[in-house]
Amino acid sequence: MAADAPHPSFEAYAAEPVPQAAVGSPGKDGRLELTFRETAGGTALVKDYATAPFHVSGTLDHDPHPDVTTVIVQSSTGGVAQGDRRDVDVAVGADALARVTTGGSTKVQSMEHNYAAADVSLSVESEGHLEYLPEPTILHADARYHARLTLDLAADATAILGNVVVPGRLARGERFEFERYLSRVHATGPDGLLFEDATHLTPGDGNPTAPGVFGEFSVYGSLFVAAPDRDAGALSDRLHAAVADHEARAGATELPNGAGAVVRALGHRAETARAALHAARNRARKSLLDAPAPSGRAY
Amino acid sequence: MRDDATLEAFRLADSFLPVGTNSISSGIEQFVQEGRIENLDDLRAVLEAYLRNQVGTADLVALRAAHEAARDDDVAAVRAADRRLTAVTLPAEFREAATQSGARLLSLQRDLRSDPLLDAYAAAVDDGTAPGNHPVVLGAVAGRAGIAEREACLVYCHGFLTGLLGAAQRLLSVGHTGVQRALDRLRPTVRAAVDASDARTLDDLTSFTPLAEVLSADHERADRRLFLS
Repeated sequence: MAADAPHPSFEAYAAEPVPQAAVGSPGKDGRLELTFRETAGGTALVKDYATAPFHVSGTLDHDPHPDVTTVIVQSSTGGVAQGDRRDVDVAVGADALARVTTGGSTKVQSMEHNYAAADVSLSVESEGHLEYLPEPTILHADARYHARLTLDLAADATAILGNVVVPGRLARGERFEFERYLSRVHATGPDGLLFEDATHLTPGDGNPTAPGVFGEFSVYGSLFVAAPDRDAGALSDRLHAAVADHEARAGATELPNGAGAVVRALGHRAETARAALHAARNRARKSLLDAPAPSGRAY
Repeated sequence: MRDDATLEAFRLADSFLPVGTNSISSGIEQFVQEGRIENLDDLRAVLEAYLRNQVGTADLVALRAAHEAARDDDVAAVRAADRRLTAVTLPAEFREAATQSGARLLSLQRDLRSDPLLDAYAAAVDDGTAPGNHPVVLGAVAGRAGIAEREACLVYCHGFLTGLLGAAQRLLSVGHTGVQRALDRLRPTVRAAVDASDARTLDDLTSFTPLAEVLSADHERADRRLFLS
C-alpha cells in the first residue's frame, strides 16, 4: 500500500503527486485538538491547538443546557482540496459536556490528482457527553474523499454524532458527479466494539441511485446517538416518532450491542434531511441531558 | 468436492431446510407495502442492490472468514467474524432475523452430527459472546463439511434469493415461472457479489442500503406484518 493510503481503493490516488502545494505542506495538513474538562466553573476548553485551515476563537455559552460548552470550528479556506489531510482530536473528560460544530459546510472540491482525507477521533470519559455535529459535506464533481471517524466511550458516557452528505452543488444541477466518497465510523465502549458504519459511494458505477440505496433521494444524513447505558429500545422509538412526519424519509433503529440508536434520513435537499436530524437530535438531548437542542442551526 | 460435501451443499441450499428463512423478507414486505415493489422487475432491482451493497460487501466477507476459521479449528476467529458482522448490521430487524435463522441452523447441524468446533461456537452463542449470525454459522458449517469457500458463498446467495423471492411470491401476485426467471437473471450479480467478497477483509465490511434501513425502521413498528424483517 502507498505510504498514506487509508484504504486499498485510494492507493492509486495516493501515488499521484499533487501539482500545487504538496501533501503535508503548511495549510495542507490541518490539525485540530480540543480537550474539554469539567472544572469548578463548569466545562472548560483546557486545550485548543489548531493549525491552518482550522481556527478556533474560544467557546460559546449559548446552549440551553447551562453546563454545555460549545466550540464552533472555523476554516480559513473555501474548501477541501486535493492533497489535503485533516486530523481532528476531541477529548471530553469525566462529567464534562461539550458540543463541537463547524461554521460552514465542508466543500470537497473537484480533484484531478491525489485525494483528500479527514481523520476524526473522539473520546468521552465517564459520565461525559459530546455532540459532534459538523455542517454538511458537499461533494463537488470529481471529488475523492476519505473520512474516518472513531469514537471511544467510557462507562456511562454519551455522544451524539451527525453528518449530512450532499452529492454535489445541487442548485447548479450537479448531482452524483464526484468520483469516490468513503466514510467510516467506528465506535467502541468499555467492552470493545459497539458499532461500525461505512458509506462507500462511487457514482460512476451507478450504485447510489439504486432502489433501497438512495432510491429517488440524493441527500443522506445519519445521527448516531451512542448511549450504551440507556434503554436503547425506548430511545429508538422516541427518535423514530420525532422524525416520522418530516418531508425527508427518515427512521430510527436500535444500534447493535445495545449502543443506542441511529437515525437515517434521506431527502431531496440538504434542508429537509437536516430538519429531520434536528428533530431527532432535539429529542435525544431531552432524553440524555433533559434539555432541548439550541435553535438557530438546522441540526 | 466429494459427494458428501456436494450433497451437504444441496441440503444447505434447499428451501426445505427448516431454519425459518420463510419468515424473513429483509425489508421486501415494506417495499411492497409502500408500492415501491409492484412486479418482478422492481423486486429484482432491489435484490441486485442487496447483493451489491450488503451480501457481497458484508455477509459473504464474514462467511468467508468463518469458513477459514472453522477449517483452522479457530473458534475465536469465528466469533470475531460474527461480532464484526453484527456491528455493521444497523437495522435491528436484520440482526434479529440473521441471529434467529443462524441459531436454528447451528442447532440443526449439531443434531445431525457431533463437531467440537460447532459445539464450542454454540456455547459462545449461548453465553452471549457470539451473536450467531446466519452467514457466519453457514460459513462455519460449510467449512467443517468440506464445502469449498466459493461454493459456500453461492449456497448462501441462493438461499438468500430464494427466501426473498418466496416472500415476494406471498406478497405480490407473481407466478412460479416469473420467479424462476428472476432467479436465473440474478446470476451475474450473484457471481459479482461473490467475487467482490473475495477482495475484502473483516476490516472492510460495509453494508449500505440506507433507504432499506429507513423502510425497515417503519416495518419494525408496523401493526400488521407477515414477516419478521
